[in-house]
This record gives sequence, C-alpha cells and structure tokens, in this order.
Amino acid sequence: MNNIFSFRRFGLLLKKTIAERPLQTVGVIALLLFLTLMMYGVVKKWSDINAAQTLTFIWGLSGGGFFLASLVFNYFGTNASGSSYLTLPASYFEKWLCGILIAGIFYPLLFVFFYHLIDMGFVTAYHNSLDPGSIYYKEQYEGTDTFELSGQIAWRVYAMFFMFTGAMFTGSLFFNKMALLKTGIVMSLVFIVLFGLNSLISVSIFPDVKDAGLFHHVVLAVGEEEGTIVLPSRAENIFHYGIAFIIPAILWITSLTRLKEKEF
Amino acid sequence: MIEVRNLSFGYRKRKPLYKDLNLSLPTGSIYGLLGKNGAGKSTLLKNLTGLLFPSGGNINVNGFVPSKRLPSFLETIYFIPDEVHVPALTIERYRNLFSPFYPSFNADQFHQYLDLLDVHDKGKLNTLSFGQQKKFIIAFALACNTKILLLDEPTNGLDIPSKIKFRKLISGVFTKDKMIFISTHQIRDLDNLIDNVIIIDNGELLLQASISDIARKLSFRVVEKLPPENELLYSESSLKGYSVVTENQSGDESKVNLEFLFNAITGNPQRSKSIFSTK
Repeated sequence: MNNIFSFRRFGLLLKKTIAERPLQTVGVIALLLFLTLMMYGVVKKWSDINAAQTLTFIWGLSGGGFFLASLVFNYFGTNASGSSYLTLPASYFEKWLCGILIAGIFYPLLFVFFYHLIDMGFVTAYHNSLDPGSIYYKEQYEGTDTFELSGQIAWRVYAMFFMFTGAMFTGSLFFNKMALLKTGIVMSLVFIVLFGLNSLISVSIFPDVKDAGLFHHVVLAVGEEEGTIVLPSRAENIFHYGIAFIIPAILWITSLTRLKEKEF
Repeated sequence: MIEVRNLSFGYRKRKPLYKDLNLSLPTGSIYGLLGKNGAGKSTLLKNLTGLLFPSGGNINVNGFVPSKRLPSFLETIYFIPDEVHVPALTIERYRNLFSPFYPSFNADQFHQYLDLLDVHDKGKLNTLSFGQQKKFIIAFALACNTKILLLDEPTNGLDIPSKIKFRKLISGVFTKDKMIFISTHQIRDLDNLIDNVIIIDNGELLLQASISDIARKLSFRVVEKLPPENELLYSESSLKGYSVVTENQSGDESKVNLEFLFNAITGNPQRSKSIFSTK
C-alpha cells in the first residue's frame, strides 16, 4: 500500500470532505462569489468601474481565499472532530492536499472565472450605456476595459492570495479554536512590525523621509518635490521573488509539516 | 499487539505524566484501562493512536509507529474518544462516505449492530441524542473490523439498557485476532466484560494482569471481622460485615470485584506491584 498518496484514497477523501461539510466548502465558495458580485455592483455605484474592478479583485481573491483557508483545516475545535480527522485512514499529504485543493486551487480558479464573467458583464453594460453620439464616446469607451488578469495589479493580488492563504493554512493548524481571528491578529502584528521597522530604518538613514510604508516603500522629500527610493535591481529582485514566491511557498509547506506533526 | 517501551510523555516539559512506562499487550483480549480522573488514561490512548507523540521511549502498534499516522496503520485501529463527532449526514450517507477507508468493513454487521443498539433513525446523525450518536459510532467502529479498537469512556452518556447492550455487543463480536482496549473510570460498566486489567495512577503502571491471575493472587471476601492490617489491601463496611481485599493465601479463587480491586491497588501501589511483579 502506498502510504503517501493513492488516487483512490484521495478521491474518497475529497468526496467525504465536501459531502460531510457542504456548507463550509461549496456553500462558502458560493457565498464568496455572491459577495464579489455585490461588492462590484456597490463600489461601481458609489465610485467608478475601475475602482470596483480593483477592489473586488483584491478582496474577493485574497480576502475570500483567506477566509476559505480558515475552514478547510477547521477540525480541531473539539476533541471528537479533531481525533476523527487525524485518525481517518488517509495520509497527512492527502489531507493537506484536499484542503489546499479546495481553498488554494479550486477557489481561485473559480473566482477568476466568475470575476471575469461579471467584469465582462459590467463593462459591456457600461459600454452599452454610453452615448455613441457623444464627443467623449471613444475616450469613455476606451477608458474602461475588463480587468487585466495578467497585469501588474493582478500579479500583486495573486501574490497576496498565496501569502494570505498560506498564512491561514498554517494558522489554522496552529490555533485549534478561533483560528481566523488569531491568525488575523498575528498577521496584523507582523505587518505593523514590518511597517515600523521600515519607518525606523528609513528615518535613521535618510534625513527627510516623507513617507515610509510596508516592506521597502520609502518616499523622500527633495526640495518641494518628492522621490521614491528605488532599490538596486538585485535587491529588488530578491525582495520581489521573496514576497511573491518564497514566503508563500514557506507558509504552504509549513502547513504540510504542521499537519504531519499535529498533536491533538 | 501493542508494545510500549519506556514511554515518557508530558504536556509540559517539567511535569511528565508518564515516565518509563512499559506495557506489552498481545491481541486476543479485552483490556480495561482503569485510572482516576486525570491519571492519563486518555493520554495513553492518544499516544497509542498517534494523536499524541511520546517525548521518550517507543510505541509499536501492530508493527507500526503510531506517530507516523500511516494509512496502513490507521486502517488497523479505530479510536472512539469520550465525545463523538458525527456530521450532518444520514446513517447510510455516513456509511457510504466513511466505510471505504476501512477494507474490512462489513455492511451487514453494521446494520445488525445498529439494530442491537436500537439506532434506527432515518434523519441526520447530528440531530440524534448524544447517547444515540455514541451508539452509532460504536456500531460503525465494530463493523470496521479493525484489529484494535480503542474506546475512551464508551459508556458515558449511555442509559442503563444501552450499557447492558453495549457489554453484550462487545463480548459477542470479540474474536481472538482482535484487541479491544476500554478506558473508563466507570468501573462497574466493565464487569464481566474485560479479561485483562491495567491500572495506572500518577503516570505509573500499577497493575497489568488477567482477571484469572488477579483471582489467583487476591481474595475478595465478605467477613465479619477485619483481618490484620498487614494482610489487608482494602476494606469497606457492608451490611454483612466488611468487604475486604487481601492476598489470596488459601488458593481458593473468588470473583474479582473491579471497584474493590481498583481501590486496593491504588491504595497500596508498592505492595500491589510486588504482588503482581509489575515493572
């Protein structure tokens, strides 16, 4: 018998996971997609379509992924369900993969597909609402297009998604109860520390710091103008790949090892 | 077969619950694990199932190291904790989803055990009473036909008729190629069910012996006058005089009273260990 992975066993596990907790898997995904639609509509109404596209994409993908990731390993609230989950005859890798597949693969694919559909719908409706006789028609028409899913903003959101879900997968295996809240607090603290650290370092190095935010974002006052500190390309690459790939990978792998070593 | 060698375990590093615990439990027996509240009964069961990892020593269950939680190991054991977990599924749906993980699961037996335990509900399992949920899980676990079945306080939440049915069922399904390990502080529930007794206290193994061995070495009698203190392991006043536990010096075997045995052993740990040569 293969003790690491068997297609048959994994299929059974996935079927069991979804059928056993349909509300926490299919139900939550459906709810998140519905909220995405609502958010797009509301933000578009109160602001504009470009803001709606960006905000909905950020919150729907990274926020929704974070929330869903808190549910897929949510078995440790009671002694009974935790014991039942860990002693079910499937490998830790299969159990991990099952959670990862739902929140880390199925959800983002489904989200991006759904998001693109509603985005196309809203953009088409907007285009149709324009007056072709208006002198601004061409400008207005071309000023709004569907959100670029392979654009720079989208890639930043994908990186956020992988980092947030990775943190939540790991957090939900560290905290048996209220994992969503506790992981959220830990992440907020980490970001506050990073923010403070960057501010502290930049203030200690540069005399006229105008703004210093998360990670490497530093803006200096240069006379009446302002200038953003740009890292040397090598350092920028290390930073970029660290945020986009290395840290999320570490978090996702940590959740696998944590599940393997989970005592309950 | 369960082999525990020099097991050390503690929830906190400076406060070990178990230190150098040794157990050797062959299959073919129903073991009763007795201990006071907080003695570490559930902790021991969790170490045996791989839910907790020893800080020292080795555990071997059916040739596997439990802490690795390999599927081939998990197929051979079923652990029922004190509180059971049932999802919002019907009995049949639960069977369809969970039984394929256990290669020796027998659907006919499952329905037979459910009948015997009076679990007939067609609704969702999570709407059943706690006792019904527990009986359902017991029936499912028995139908899985795993080599080892570990039950933590299985009679908690069961009414008196259910306790009787539970005892009947366990003794009825038991075969010599299996091992059933029952941990409880409700000692009377195990009367006439177990054939081996394990008593732990303060993380120490005080007794591991078969019922027949206990009957050979200890005497359970009702006497009018208390025997001398040095012979006495336990006494309790009763209507007819005193119920006493002493070393069996006459060679006549008496019926083992588990409650008195427990009090005798935990009240005289060193003497008990010497009588039963417990290491």
